[in-house]
Amino acid sequence: MSARAFSTVGQAVPRVDAEEKTSGRAKYTTDLALPGMAYAKLALSPLPHARIVSIDASRARALPGVYAVLTAAELTGMETHYGSDRKDRPIVAMGKVRFEGEPIAAVAAVDLAKAEEAVELIEAEYEELPPVIGLEAALAGESEPVQETNVCHRYEVAWGDAAGAMAACDHVFEDTFTFPMVYHYAMEPHAVIADYQADRLSVWSSAQHPFLVRAELARVFRKRLDQVRVVVPYVGGGYGSKSYTKIEPLAAALSRLAGRPVRLALSVEEAMKTVRRHATRATIRTGVQADGTFVARECRVELDTGAYTDNGVRVTERAADRLPGPYRFEHLRSEAVGLFTNTTPAGSFRSIGGPQGAWACESHTDNIAHALGIDPLELRLKNLVRPGEELLRGRRRLEADLAAPLAEVARGFGWHDYEPVSTAPHLKRGVGMACAVANAGASPISGAFVRLHADGSATVHVGTTEIGQGSRSALAQIAAEELRLPLSSVRVIASDTDAVPYDRSTGASRSTTLAGLAVHDAAADARAQMEDAAARYFETFAEQVALAEGSASFEGESISYGALIGQVFGGAGGEIVGRSAITPDHPSGKLAEDPVFWEVSMGFAEVEVDTETGRVRVLRYTSVADPGKAINPAQVEGQDEGAAMQGVGHTLFEEMRYEEGQLMNPNLIDYRVPTFGDLPDEFHTVLLERGDGPGPYGAKGVGEGGIVAVAPAVANALFNATGARIRDLPLTPERVWRALRETNDA
Amino acid sequence: MRPFTLHEPTSAAEASALLLERGEAARLYAGGTELLLAMKGGFLPCDHLVNVKTIPGMDAVALDGGALVIGAAATHTAIESAPIVRERFPLVAQVERRVANARVRNVGTLAGNLCFAEPHSDPAALLLLYDAEAVVEGASGERRISIADLQIAPYETALEPGEVMTAVRISPLPGGARAAYLKFGIHHRPTIGVGAMLRVAEGVVVEARLSLGSVPPVARRLPEAEALLLGERAEHLNAESSAVAEVADAAAAQADAVDDLHGSTEYKRHLVGVFVRRAIAQAAA
Ligand SMILES: Cc1cc2nc3c(=O)[nH]c(=O)nc-3n(C[C@H](O)[C@H](O)[C@H](O)COP(=O)(O)OP(=O)(O)OC[C@H]3O[C@@H](n4cnc5c(N)ncnc54)[C@H](O)[C@@H]3O)c2cc1C
Repeated sequence: MSARAFSTVGQAVPRVDAEEKTSGRAKYTTDLALPGMAYAKLALSPLPHARIVSIDASRARALPGVYAVLTAAELTGMETHYGSDRKDRPIVAMGKVRFEGEPIAAVAAVDLAKAEEAVELIEAEYEELPPVIGLEAALAGESEPVQETNVCHRYEVAWGDAAGAMAACDHVFEDTFTFPMVYHYAMEPHAVIADYQADRLSVWSSAQHPFLVRAELARVFRKRLDQVRVVVPYVGGGYGSKSYTKIEPLAAALSRLAGRPVRLALSVEEAMKTVRRHATRATIRTGVQADGTFVARECRVELDTGAYTDNGVRVTERAADRLPGPYRFEHLRSEAVGLFTNTTPAGSFRSIGGPQGAWACESHTDNIAHALGIDPLELRLKNLVRPGEELLRGRRRLEADLAAPLAEVARGFGWHDYEPVSTAPHLKRGVGMACAVANAGASPISGAFVRLHADGSATVHVGTTEIGQGSRSALAQIAAEELRLPLSSVRVIASDTDAVPYDRSTGASRSTTLAGLAVHDAAADARAQMEDAAARYFETFAEQVALAEGSASFEGESISYGALIGQVFGGAGGEIVGRSAITPDHPSGKLAEDPVFWEVSMGFAEVEVDTETGRVRVLRYTSVADPGKAINPAQVEGQDEGAAMQGVGHTLFEEMRYEEGQLMNPNLIDYRVPTFGDLPDEFHTVLLERGDGPGPYGAKGVGEGGIVAVAPAVANALFNATGARIRDLPLTPERVWRALRETNDA
Repeated sequence: MRPFTLHEPTSAAEASALLLERGEAARLYAGGTELLLAMKGGFLPCDHLVNVKTIPGMDAVALDGGALVIGAAATHTAIESAPIVRERFPLVAQVERRVANARVRNVGTLAGNLCFAEPHSDPAALLLLYDAEAVVEGASGERRISIADLQIAPYETALEPGEVMTAVRISPLPGGARAAYLKFGIHHRPTIGVGAMLRVAEGVVVEARLSLGSVPPVARRLPEAEALLLGERAEHLNAESSAVAEVADAAAAQADAVDDLHGSTEYKRHLVGVFVRRAIAQAAA
């Protein structure tokens, strides 16, 4: 087909859910209620590590208004553990508690106040164990381990002889950086309504991956997949916190025990004790030639994965994949070890292992540039992987161009002729940059079907969760484009495992690329059927008819889709159904290799630091996102800005602080997330659109990239302003003040 | 949060009687911005809330013989937007405008802030620059407590059981006085708040008040540092002057800083020096 002008793809059309959400009509899980529904409250362990001697729930059970109290003793006739890679997480603590806040029991009662009252009546006796807190304690292994061992997972990627090659290099540089535990803060904490019946388990959940939840629930409750239904209404943000299975088995087990539907909605504090990002310590050693050419890199990252595996295996692997950065090395060895500790389990969080890796790699890159007296931009341009080259040996080649846009955006940012403005003697300004790419997309398994109704409107059935990222809008745009329908005629329905085809997950920046491709192909299938029908109607060949704006035409005659569908079914209603199933064998050939695509991150920051207080402000930030083709540019910018602002959080403020295994800041007053006051004075998103992605129209994912470069770009700017190199996040005023004092004393 | 009974008295005397009757099980309730957080967290179990907002006239913000009288039910927003506050007590308006966030300011009250005695409070430090009093009413009638004596420890005030704060009275600064208040921090509540008031006659400082909040357990004046300011020429009191540096050092030495999520004692002592210096310079400018 010759190049056809897009009608809705590429347009910043308003979100299809904008009105529903801004008017308050949009329904989230906690807006729903089932007849007879009970309210649940969790009893949480006050201790980080202990053997459970006994749990006495008799007083709670005797309280009028209480339907059921679930403890480990009630987990009979079902599987007791779950987990995405390893089934190591008990539905409620069994025998031992492994972190402060681990559920030991759950109450279902007539209302929430009654459930809370009952929780107070549950008595648990513990035998305290020394808590394993922090990477050092986990590595030392001097007390009882968290799981059978404190090592969750080891992983390595290597080629050449990195250790040996160092000896032949002109310089070898080494640095160590740490990254804190941080919390996602989805505005809607986890929420589930579970309705357990003998032959049917129905669950409404704020889950990102409904099909993985369905599989887990079917396994736990020994049911067939068709007997389990997972529905995901609107979700108030995920960022990975709602990936895989979280509290669904607990809610379902409680519903089974109570014999009625159960609603379990977590508070912010409980959500902080459900999942978090991995804290890391990363050491990088780089062998460099005098001209700045990188030759060899050895790096090691240790990850604090908390009390259970959750997604710790995959995060450990991605951390090692992402730590070496976007540079060419003859010799590389990158190893990662994930360690259990007695803290909130760590799992997926927007770009798993990405921000931790870039923080270390990109701070280290600037240290090398400084030591060699080379401009940090030039050092990067010299060593960046080029399009078509392998970034990780044996994996998909890099489709993206990194060097050209980095240089171009640097020019636009005023990198070369930057002169810091001084407004007061204690205020210093500087600029910094960072660049990264990440293997993204997870598994290329997604399906869709598109129903073209008898009046020419269409419904899209696809398993992507609308978590606020705008998937319903982008997928509707793709369907409208392929069906040649106006956008207003297309509806994308909510994820419901009874009603939509399988989609692996909503994460890893994959939805527009993979679910988008599924919708594209299903809509194209429906369109082909319409072309055939039109060809029959006009008595010509399918190639001769033109479809546009919901009508088919041939030689000046036209017929509406509705009328045409009437012809197909002899006027008795009916609908056209288009189908697709995306697998690695997609006919485009673009999904055969791992990863599905490389996600690009670039950030440029100008900061101002008050050298007396240590307070850092981001004055300007430019972020580069590479969507290949922006289906909806406004939404891409929204994702990129949102991700970057979330990155400002772990850069300047956010850190879950533990003392002796107790989380000290489990609320949004003591745990500081960015607010509007923290927005840079200027923020730009630059979109790269080379059409080089494997998704529809050359699209690829962007939802995570914006968060990755922020911390190193800001820290590099701080270094540029003051000469102080900070190796630990967040860059709190006190930490910056101490670093400045050391730099000045040195 | 466990269920509670809400009482809506129509006079301070009635509120006081309700409190005395219920003892520990009852609490006064204004905006609830502190109280409900504490109740939800399980730190303040109480079965009876006594609403001060239903008492007629409690939300008044008015002048009484030159003094500003802020009723106990007046919210931060009502205070900072009241024309008499903006015109006659501009610094109070300015500080109230920057307490917490819009949601807290729209329902939270000055009285609630002072009576909760959370150590990270702006008004607690600010009001030490003024001659200010808390007006309280209890079983034995009305009495006044100097603002400096109101808070006695974190989360503890000089109010007797059954006493209700009805208003805060703030006298105007003396003639020739200039004042400044600076706050700093990255958390919702301030890490440090520093106030400076200088009364200048013929170019010379004849009276000085320095106040420090959020750093010590209870907001306090810094008398040793204040004394060093007396007799200094106002025009010399800029951020670079050695006289101011000495005052700042004295203030830091008296800071009584405590370690918490906002930072270490060492860092906070340092901040006291920085912000005392800046506050003096701003007041003198
Ligand atoms: C997110 C957040 C940020 C904040 N940031 C700041 C900040 O930057 N600076 C700052 O100074 N403060 C800050 N605060 C504190 C804020 O100012 C107080 O929460 C608010 O003013 C309390 O008033 P209230 O009416 O809500 O009190 P309530 O919560 O209703 O009551 C608080 C306490 O005072 C008692 N009380 C209330 N009224 C009376 C009365 N008339 N007599 C006797 N006792 C009474 C109550 O029994 C209770 O113990 C912050 C608070 C929050 C939640």
